[in-house]
Amino acid sequence: MAEERRGSWFGFGFCGFGQALGSGRGRQVHSPEPLETPGPGADVCRVSASWSYTAIVTRGGQVQLSGAAGGAAGGCRDAWASEALLVVLRAGPAVGSRPELQAWAPGSALRGEPLWTHTLVSEAEREDAAGGEPQARALPLLPGARAYVSPRPPFYRPLAPELRARRLELGGEHALLLDEAGQVFSWGQGRHGQLGHGTLEAAPEPRLLEALQGLPMAEVAAGGWHSVCVSETGDIYVWGWNESGQLALPTRSLAEDGKTISREAGWPSEGDSDVRTVGSEDGAPAPFIAIQPFPALLDLPWGAEAAQASCGSRHTAVVTTVPAE
Amino acid sequence: MAEDNREPLAGAGALREALWALLPPTKEELVPELGEKVELGMARLLQEATELFCGGRRSECLQASEAILDYSWEKLNTGPWRDVHKDWRRVYAFGCLLKAVCLCDEPGNAPAVAEALKVCDMGLLMGAAIHGDILIKVAAILQAHLPSGKRPGPARQQPGTKKARNDGVPVPDVASERPVPRLRCPSLQHFRKQFLAPGRPVILEGVVDQWPCMTKWSLEYIQEVAGCRTVPVEVGSRYTDEEWSQTLMTVNEFISKYIRDESRDVGYLAQHQLFDQIPELKRDISIPDYCCLGDGEEDEITINAWFGPRGTVSPLHQDPQQNFLVQVIGRKYIRLYSPQESEALYPHETHLLHNTSQVRRWQQPRSSCALCAGLQGHQQPRRARGLASARRSVDLSPLGKRVISGHSPSQGGVSTGPPSPTRPSCRGLPGAQSDAGTCGLQPDAALPWHPERRDIAVRCCQGVLGKFTLRSTQGDGDAGRPVSPGAEC
Repeated sequence: MAEERRGSWFGFGFCGFGQALGSGRGRQVHSPEPLETPGPGADVCRVSASWSYTAIVTRGGQVQLSGAAGGAAGGCRDAWASEALLVVLRAGPAVGSRPELQAWAPGSALRGEPLWTHTLVSEAEREDAAGGEPQARALPLLPGARAYVSPRPPFYRPLAPELRARRLELGGEHALLLDEAGQVFSWGQGRHGQLGHGTLEAAPEPRLLEALQGLPMAEVAAGGWHSVCVSETGDIYVWGWNESGQLALPTRSLAEDGKTISREAGWPSEGDSDVRTVGSEDGAPAPFIAIQPFPALLDLPWGAEAAQASCGSRHTAVVTTVPAE
Repeated sequence: MAEDNREPLAGAGALREALWALLPPTKEELVPELGEKVELGMARLLQEATELFCGGRRSECLQASEAILDYSWEKLNTGPWRDVHKDWRRVYAFGCLLKAVCLCDEPGNAPAVAEALKVCDMGLLMGAAIHGDILIKVAAILQAHLPSGKRPGPARQQPGTKKARNDGVPVPDVASERPVPRLRCPSLQHFRKQFLAPGRPVILEGVVDQWPCMTKWSLEYIQEVAGCRTVPVEVGSRYTDEEWSQTLMTVNEFISKYIRDESRDVGYLAQHQLFDQIPELKRDISIPDYCCLGDGEEDEITINAWFGPRGTVSPLHQDPQQNFLVQVIGRKYIRLYSPQESEALYPHETHLLHNTSQVRRWQQPRSSCALCAGLQGHQQPRRARGLASARRSVDLSPLGKRVISGHSPSQGGVSTGPPSPTRPSCRGLPGAQSDAGTCGLQPDAALPWHPERRDIAVRCCQGVLGKFTLRSTQGDGDAGRPVSPGAEC
């Protein structure tokens, strides 16, 4: 297993429920602030943020909830938070027993009984989960990559083993899968172009993103109705709904509101335009794009390369590195 | 409060009082009752927002209601419209209610009142009724309190717009085509036996003569009654085009931009349940007796409005429900084809447009009519054969599920009809613009059997007409979801 990078956690966004985001003061945190850790010296290895609460997992195996849902529990390797369901991967109840996947109602504060459990029985599952360190960023993909967990029934969903899933991310109505070879698959609803196959049709089974074939991807992220992936060479590809500007493509709603996208971040702007427009080849400003049904390559300013991407329901955040001169 | 003071301050105080008088008296009654679908986080937020509201903490309540609206809007955009749980729509309406009332708390802030009215309209368009349809009552009060500058007034200098303008636009020659028959006030039995049951189109004359709308409706009147109300407008000449999109604007804006000015773009207030949103207009119309012949309950009858300038086109499509179309002002040209011709009409294969033909230009139509003001058409395409051209749904007729109706460029109309999949489901995507084109859903399919095509570009006058359903059916999942670009209200 790759050595886990140790660093600091930062958060920003809506914290009207008192979720631990930065200082937690006020309802919104506009710029990244250091995350409040549960207890001094706690080494946070996983953070899963739902809308009204956040689940934080430490290397010591503690999962702690903050926000509309509270509570804490030990023996936890991984957690995944959604409004309907909190899923945790825990060591078995007794010493030497098998690890268990548990689904809890967020309001239960991890007390009482979970809504359902799934014991990891297969060799593949147990091997994957047996490492001493808690799992990092595996859920909703289960250890062994033979299945994943969904917040809507059926909760346990098998995956074809030939997919060789490395990462799996769930959007509002779709799923993205990154396999060992760096290929991306998508399935689910496609009304907003979030599947990336060039149409608005749904896909019931995982379908390869042909547009990205030959470009090995390192990360995938899924938002409410959009998808993002980061290639091994640091490029970002986006597709899906752009109604709120989540794809960083020109959007009517933001242009009409006069909101700046790039200026806040200090990106170079073009003349009087408040919106960083994607130009077409002849130099004319591109029209508004509400739906991008197949992957589009984004340019990052200053030659930055993307390291990681994460999606909220209607926004995207990217961590970049700037290559050495 | 100084009654004798005519300053806005007194007016604003009266506004606040009038609004609060509509609300349930206690905090416990104000919080909407919701089931399990609404999760823990939102349930807590609703409680909190209600407490802030009752505690007079206006700006915090506004923040909380924005969060309510943000989250519930996402639920409204998840999945097909028919699967959106009504509780989420109630949450959305509740958020609109809190926001609208909070906006009006500030005395004398006229733009805030206009914004509050827009918020109410969003709640009416996207939400579900709460507290006895309170948003309708709130909207009525807000409208009455808008300062005269913002209140819709009669139009500036327009000549009388009751008569449809005829700018010498060529009207298609229906005589050369097989006309839809016309009857004067047939009996229910005769109608059912001759037209409804066998599925034949017919135009009914004399049925709507006494409706108030026939004499009252004009652009000035509509602006007066509904000018500052927000409605969904389709922009683009037809919904299969790449540039087609939906947007929201006030009726005043729509009329000045797309009706009076005849801008380059075609704007169409199409398939919108305007009469649920604006009860004053509903009083001007009635429901034809023939509607009782349908299978469903009377409260399942939906009434849509169609209001637009000349040159609007509905591509050839199929309505899922029997319906009547009433032309109040202006004229429309309609072509009908039998459902038996479906194969020959190249329905799109995509789910989005599966009930719309790919054909844009048509061969000689077989059955057609020009529906003029005052006529109620009943469309029964089973007998028609041949190609139908696209046209706004003008036909008043119980359209069987397999009816294919084409609409040629129309004069706009307030057609009330079922929230049918005649319009593509992308209209049901709040905020979605029809990037159908960017997805390769090109409507122009080659016609293999006839090289000669005739362009049916009929330019007619502005018009208003209505359309009623006989019964409700389950249409496409996305049909009926109101548009909400950008979502936020």
